[in-house]
Amino acid sequence: MPHASEHQVKSLKRISGGSSRETYAFDLEWSEGGETRTRPLIGRRDPTGGLLKSDREREFNVIAAMHRAGLKVPEPLFLELDAGVMDRPFFIMHRAAGQTGMGAFPAAEADSTRTKVAGDFLSELARLQSLDYRECGLEILGAPKSLDDPARIQAAHWNEIYERDRLGEHYPILTAAFAWLKANPVVSDRIVIVHGDYRSGNYLYDENGIIAMLDWEMAHLGDPMEDLGWASMMFWGREEFAGGLMEREAFYKLYEQKTGHRVDRERLFFYQVLGNAKMAVICLTGIRDFVERRTSDAVMPFLELLLPALLGDLANQLRLV
Amino acid sequence: MLRPTLNELISGMQRTIMEALMPELTSPYAQGQAMSAIGMLTHAAAALESAPAYDAAEIKDLRATFAALKRLGDKHLPKKSGLRGVLARATRAGAKTPPDRSAMEAAMAAFATAVALGHIDESVARHVRGYIRRNLERSRQLLGGSLPSG
Repeated sequence: MPHASEHQVKSLKRISGGSSRETYAFDLEWSEGGETRTRPLIGRRDPTGGLLKSDREREFNVIAAMHRAGLKVPEPLFLELDAGVMDRPFFIMHRAAGQTGMGAFPAAEADSTRTKVAGDFLSELARLQSLDYRECGLEILGAPKSLDDPARIQAAHWNEIYERDRLGEHYPILTAAFAWLKANPVVSDRIVIVHGDYRSGNYLYDENGIIAMLDWEMAHLGDPMEDLGWASMMFWGREEFAGGLMEREAFYKLYEQKTGHRVDRERLFFYQVLGNAKMAVICLTGIRDFVERRTSDAVMPFLELLLPALLGDLANQLRLV
Repeated sequence: MLRPTLNELISGMQRTIMEALMPELTSPYAQGQAMSAIGMLTHAAAALESAPAYDAAEIKDLRATFAALKRLGDKHLPKKSGLRGVLARATRAGAKTPPDRSAMEAAMAAFATAVALGHIDESVARHVRGYIRRNLERSRQLLGGSLPSG
């Protein structure tokens, strides 16, 4: 903002959500060309602890690439890596309007809104998966060397975090799940940009559909079935509705229509198993950071309450019950 | 009995947060955290009451399951699988005073892995599945709650 002066931060407040970062909403007011201007903004600062250990520069670059490609994301504006400015690195992006939820799409919403959001959800996923990561400048995400790499890399990555964050406890179902994932890797049909947390609860919406997809900190390159498997896990929407949006089989059919690619059931299943294991591990990371005093976020100890559902789904998938 | 009791203290902390602290908090984030802290205290009170019974039931079930597996005999555990040694270690861990629960759970993880990979026969898998089913049910009963909105 080279021509701007008299910057003022107004209505600063910390908000919930995006638990991997401290998130603040504020309005920036400044003078430019003799006029006073205002813009609603979001600041995301690295936490002292929390659910994920991710790189803010990487997240900022992914959002910037998605914005350039025309996907529905908040416009990224500033990235500050110097921890001397505000204790920890942070970035600032436009604050989009709309509402969000914590998990499944709210059952109380009108059917017309649900239908529009479901359509947008899969349209955005199709657009994301149609992008060439090289043209987007996202080789920084680390391209898998072959089509059988993504499954192995993701399974090994989350198994490593499980071993690191389980606080010495043994979770027989999780241990079995990672062994199964290692023994049954799938081979992708192509390499796409994977959001990594593509689900209900991670978008802003209104009655006209999705306004912006959020929380790109787990983005990487991999198998298109990974985001589809994660989005349609039982955990994000019990019963037959994927993410609370649409009946699961209709959801898959619409995905096929929007992408022009078949849903590979074997790969989908692999990534749903991985998804449940990954979400359980994310819970363990939050619990560990709370126990070891890296975070005082009062939500973290409640992550324990999510484990029975996740482990129950895994046990069903692996025929352990 | 010392008064206030632990439950009375927890209940008092919740009232302090709700009645003295909450009215002074203007930030929605801080209000959410305060509500989560109240929930955490409810969870703590329930855990204080239920956790000892949960732990005792876990240990009893692990011991019983390994005893049942031992009764099946070695012929059901392929020598190459390493599960005979795992079972022997689990049995020793269960006989310790106090029992080595962590070692028993590590052993159960090895058996669950063998079931998931289809490496053991159905007579063994049936016992392992039975334990996992009961363990999940106990966990649901102990942790049966929902994530607070904070």
